Amino acid sequence: MKILLVEDNERVSQFVIKGLQEAGHTVDHAAKGRDGMFLAASEPYDVIIMDRMLPGDIDGLAIIEVLRRAGSRTPILILSALAEVDDRIRGLRSGGDDYLTKPFAFGELLARVDALHRRAQGVNRELPLTVGDLHMDPMTRKVTRGDRPITLQPREFKLLEYLMRHAGQVVTRTMLLENVWEYHFDPQTNVVDVHISKLRQKIDAEFERPLLRTVRNAGYMVSAGD
Amino acid sequence: MMRSSALSLALGYVALGITALVLFAAPLWYAWQVTIQDGRSEILQADAMRLTDVYRRDGGDGLRSFIDARVHMQIAGDRILLLTDSSRRPLAGNLAVWPANLPTSAGNYRLKIDTGERGIQDTLAHVAHLGDYYLLVGRDNKLFAPLERRFWYGLTAAIAVLSIAGLLVGLITRRALMSRVHSIRQTVSAIIHGDLKHRLPTNLSDDELNTLARTINGMLEQIEQLVHGVRNVSHSIAHDLRTPLAELRSRLEELALMRPSPEMTFAEIDAAVADVDRVIRIFDALLRLAQIDAGLRRSGFVPLDLVDLVSTAVEFYAPAAELKNIRLNFKAGASAKAMGDPILLAQALGNLIDNALKFAPENGTVEVRVRRRDDGCAEIAVCDDGPGIRDSEKVKVLERFYRGDSSRGTPGVGLGLSLVQAVAKLHGACLELADRNPGLAVVLSIPCSESAADSLSVAPAPEASTRVAAGAPS
Repeated sequence: MKILLVEDNERVSQFVIKGLQEAGHTVDHAAKGRDGMFLAASEPYDVIIMDRMLPGDIDGLAIIEVLRRAGSRTPILILSALAEVDDRIRGLRSGGDDYLTKPFAFGELLARVDALHRRAQGVNRELPLTVGDLHMDPMTRKVTRGDRPITLQPREFKLLEYLMRHAGQVVTRTMLLENVWEYHFDPQTNVVDVHISKLRQKIDAEFERPLLRTVRNAGYMVSAGD
Repeated sequence: MMRSSALSLALGYVALGITALVLFAAPLWYAWQVTIQDGRSEILQADAMRLTDVYRRDGGDGLRSFIDARVHMQIAGDRILLLTDSSRRPLAGNLAVWPANLPTSAGNYRLKIDTGERGIQDTLAHVAHLGDYYLLVGRDNKLFAPLERRFWYGLTAAIAVLSIAGLLVGLITRRALMSRVHSIRQTVSAIIHGDLKHRLPTNLSDDELNTLARTINGMLEQIEQLVHGVRNVSHSIAHDLRTPLAELRSRLEELALMRPSPEMTFAEIDAAVADVDRVIRIFDALLRLAQIDAGLRRSGFVPLDLVDLVSTAVEFYAPAAELKNIRLNFKAGASAKAMGDPILLAQALGNLIDNALKFAPENGTVEVRVRRRDDGCAEIAVCDDGPGIRDSEKVKVLERFYRGDSSRGTPGVGLGLSLVQAVAKLHGACLELADRNPGLAVVLSIPCSESAADSLSVAPAPEASTRVAAGAPS
């Protein structure tokens, strides 16, 4: 996909551009808010990654507000050194779609960009989800793998639903905490891993082909394999 | 000296006193004057009356000889007596001529009269018409002067005493005040130079300066504690960050020196990233604590149900408990609504459950209870059957970066309980560490909605209390 990065720090920019390009994306980069706004307004992008604090000229949040007022619906990920929840709320309120604090792991950034892109393509929340031979019907809340029904606790259902909606993408622990439990803090333990292994017991244990995989140093992914 | 507030206050009082004195004396003076005047006129009239009687009895000549006899026998004293004919030619008396400035119509007059041998005197005169004669009876006003003088002397003396006493009291007060202000100034300048141990001198009395000094001492106490806390925390930060940074450094240095196989290198790099993440985590925790301490987070307060919050947290940690073969029991009453920051409360609760799971023994039990007490507080209790906390350590575990003996060898940076305490303080809640023999019960009492809304609107900074109960059955 085509991504615009508005970021003034050269090192961070290089690191992000290189990583995104390796992941197969095209990246345009603007080091100044003005250039960023110009590019965002004139080119069609799939995702915009916007640094919140830009030196001198225009503030990142101001650019987002201008873009939104102009009717742009491109998903925007805000990067910021301001880590507090209030800052995050302000960022999202200005029209950003997701918020990532610096310093961040590249895997986290990539996963969030993918998730934003996926979300922007529009998903019907009521359509059944399918990954390989695993089926989930959000309406009836029935989950089956092959012919076998799988019984899930409500939270396990939510966890699997989130993973399946992002099938084929890496989903980080932080994304799971935020979206499945709505926990915007780091519980400092491996509880998410334990939840995942419990879920794995239910959907993968008795099957030859595992669907829920751990991605080293990044998170988890549900995919049909290959 | 004129700028001394004590002195100007005293002078102000003196001026006020003098004004009051004058305001008091003036009507008195007036009433007195009127009374005296009336008295004098009566005396004169009585004199004139007696002469009139003589005139009625003996006629003009009789009166002449009567007056002459009196003047001659010096009975008249300092009185002025004058009898004239209709053209004011003197017939008898001790005045040579009818005074030029005295009218002839009957009545009382006050005027200066040249008496000849006795000089000009301030006279109260009474003029009467007796047939064709004019009669003048006068008395020297000076007779009353000593009385007046005494009045003025009295008033002046009172004013003088008042002024001198006021000035003296002002000076003494100023001196006393200056010496106290001086000692306060000395203490404060010692504090300015960095010695926070100093306190303002106070005594047992309840006067204004003492009250002020006590309040300031209270403030100094708080400041000293805060500064002490900040110093401690910065020491701890420096110390706690050194450990992961030292590990990181040696890892990287070893990597540079040894140049191991690519696989080993990547593993080491991963470990290095984990070290950096640890440092970042410590910073995040500290930032959050600082923000909670500053009370900035109260803006994030929303109405919430603590039972929901606790059950989510229990459910979140249930698999971790299962993994360690710990029974995680959850007991909840009906809903317990309160005002609070859901994210912070969830984090505090997470820390408590995480701690309990960490310290509960294998096959042990952790119990989480939430209920609404009769006193309007919601009580959240997290109990374990681990080693517990010794009484001597109970206060310390709430300090930042403190790690008890029993937590050696467990993961964590020693900020968990301080965060719980900070969150409790922000919510006006009470945090209690109680013994269960064996084990520890951490009880968090949060004011419920109705009372919470009140206490938050009335007291913008609710005082959190931390009770450390020893040996209390939970």
